[in-house]
Amino acid sequence: MSYNYIELITLILLAIGCFFILSGSLGLIKLPDVFSRIHAAGLIDTLGSGFIVLALIIYSGFSLLSLKLMLIPIFLIFTSPVTGHAIALFAHESGYKPKGKNKK
Amino acid sequence: MAKHNKDSLKTLSFITYFIILFVFWFILSGYLKTLLLFFGVISVLFVFWMSYRAKALEEDSLPLKIILRLPFYWIWLFKEIFKSGITTTVLIWNGKYSPQLITVKASQKNRTGIANYANAITLTPGTVTIEVDKKIFLVHALSKKLSEDLQTDDMNKVITDLDK
Repeated sequence: MSYNYIELITLILLAIGCFFILSGSLGLIKLPDVFSRIHAAGLIDTLGSGFIVLALIIYSGFSLLSLKLMLIPIFLIFTSPVTGHAIALFAHESGYKPKGKNKK
Repeated sequence: MAKHNKDSLKTLSFITYFIILFVFWFILSGYLKTLLLFFGVISVLFVFWMSYRAKALEEDSLPLKIILRLPFYWIWLFKEIFKSGITTTVLIWNGKYSPQLITVKASQKNRTGIANYANAITLTPGTVTIEVDKKIFLVHALSKKLSEDLQTDDMNKVITDLDK
């Protein structure tokens, strides 16, 4: 019986993660410029991957494998801001102006 | 006395770094045989020597003081990511975004703290650090609410307190 509960929790968490990835992908298409699209990519990186890995950890049970799975979001958390920042800085330095009102 | 204290702190940080590296090796391999553990110690020593040579073990890059506070900070950070993630998702779906540039002032004292703050801003969905000019960040926010959340300075205070 407890097995079913675990499957149910996994399913819910996977659905939440997929929803965040869907929203991020929608944002990638829908948002107006480079800077705004980085936000959508950040949504996929943090919340989408986080929820899916959490679901996988619960599904696989707590073992050495779940520790390895936990390393994935840790690496993503350290690397994804760097890539986002690199893209934003390059767009800024090459004179790309963000759309919308700027109070600078 | 002060010098002696600094030296012992340095030794302690070396030991901590060694333990972290070995635990990392063990998580990735999962072997418990004596020979393989010995090889693990050798590879950890090699990485240790390389990071010592690259001067990656200065006090600034391995701050022992904050290691105990890090888990609490991470829990707080996950909460923030979740909150602003939901705001960003709602913004994407209903289309009421108004992107804007703001400047934020950082009050951290060392380089690690400033990098930490810039990374935390980028990690929370809806805000991206574009440029770091000494202690002033140029931040792109997806909506007015997100930029106002940032300008309340809560995140800045938490990360500054981390280093006390």
